[in-house]
Amino acid sequence: MMASVLRVLALSVIVFVGCLSSAWAHKVNIFAYVEDGKVYTESYFASGQKVMGGKIEVLDANGKELLTGTTDKEGLFSFPLTEKKPLTIVIDAGMGHRNTYVLSQDEME
Amino acid sequence: MRKTPKLVLLSCCAALLTTASVANAHFGAVIPSDDIVTQKDSKKIEVAVKFLHPLEGHYMEMVKPKRFGVVHDGTSTDLLPTLKAVKGTEPGKAFTSWQTQYQIKRPGDYVFFVEPQPYWEPVEDSYIVHYTKVCVNALGLEEGWDTPVGLETEILAKTRPYGLWTGNVFTGQVLVKGKPAADVEVEVEYLNESPENPSAVHPPSDPFITQVVKTDANGFFTYAMPRAGWWGFAALSTADWTLKQDGQEKPVELGAVMWVHTTDMK
Repeated sequence: MMASVLRVLALSVIVFVGCLSSAWAHKVNIFAYVEDGKVYTESYFASGQKVMGGKIEVLDANGKELLTGTTDKEGLFSFPLTEKKPLTIVIDAGMGHRNTYVLSQDEME
Repeated sequence: MRKTPKLVLLSCCAALLTTASVANAHFGAVIPSDDIVTQKDSKKIEVAVKFLHPLEGHYMEMVKPKRFGVVHDGTSTDLLPTLKAVKGTEPGKAFTSWQTQYQIKRPGDYVFFVEPQPYWEPVEDSYIVHYTKVCVNALGLEEGWDTPVGLETEILAKTRPYGLWTGNVFTGQVLVKGKPAADVEVEVEYLNESPENPSAVHPPSDPFITQVVKTDANGFFTYAMPRAGWWGFAALSTADWTLKQDGQEKPVELGAVMWVHTTDMK
């Protein structure tokens, strides 16, 4: 009984460590740009793999949440640009996969 | 009586030295102001195009290239009209190199490439054409560096060509007309004017200036880079075509040149 519990535990540790290392190798990134009054975001891993179903959070300069969303199969999410003010866009792909893109005012022209 | 032989000796030495330095390796160069553009960096980069002896810092006159462009996400963009001439001088001569500004707009790898006009080198009785490229990574997406541009001859990186530590090896595969080139010489030089070079490198003797490795049967070569800065790799072959000089057909040395950057571990 004890031995099998230990075995499961050991296996969990191996799986967990495995996840960690792949998390490191696949750092999540987000990129955003403005076109025709819309903000387009792309979320991807360094390898080019898209972030599917990642949580997007859009904050203003004071850190106030303006809106949230979910990335599609291509890692894309877009929303209308209502005010030409700096935005911080956060991608949260779970398991500590998190990054931000700061969209400055001059990138909105 | 005594003075004459000394003078003769000196002038012989001078002649020898001149010959040696002229015979040293030529390198086409495409050097960007930044090779890893992150979110915090300026997305406008400077790209310099030149023809020089990288370790000794001697420049050759360069006329406007035949082709200059960038490949990103499978699309090639012509940048030749954006190139501006930069006039430089070194003792005894003036030379031209080229420069452009490029605005990074999207994530991914940007491969800048140049095809220069043939350069006549009388000392080697040959023309030289160095197809040269460099890869700039942008915004965390590492895609594109391992795809050939499709130049007549080129180095296909087998080591990701950015984010390299000092001491890392660089492995490449030399292609001529898209096919692996076996047993060709790859000349390797350090760019002494690299911005992060703390002090000029003084080679103790000539063989140190240009390192030489040869490709294996499949066109692969590897070299470990011992100092932080820019490293040039020039894989040399002879064209199966010739060019006229003073009415005579002359051989053309083709170079597949790639530049990679190393950074000290701190």
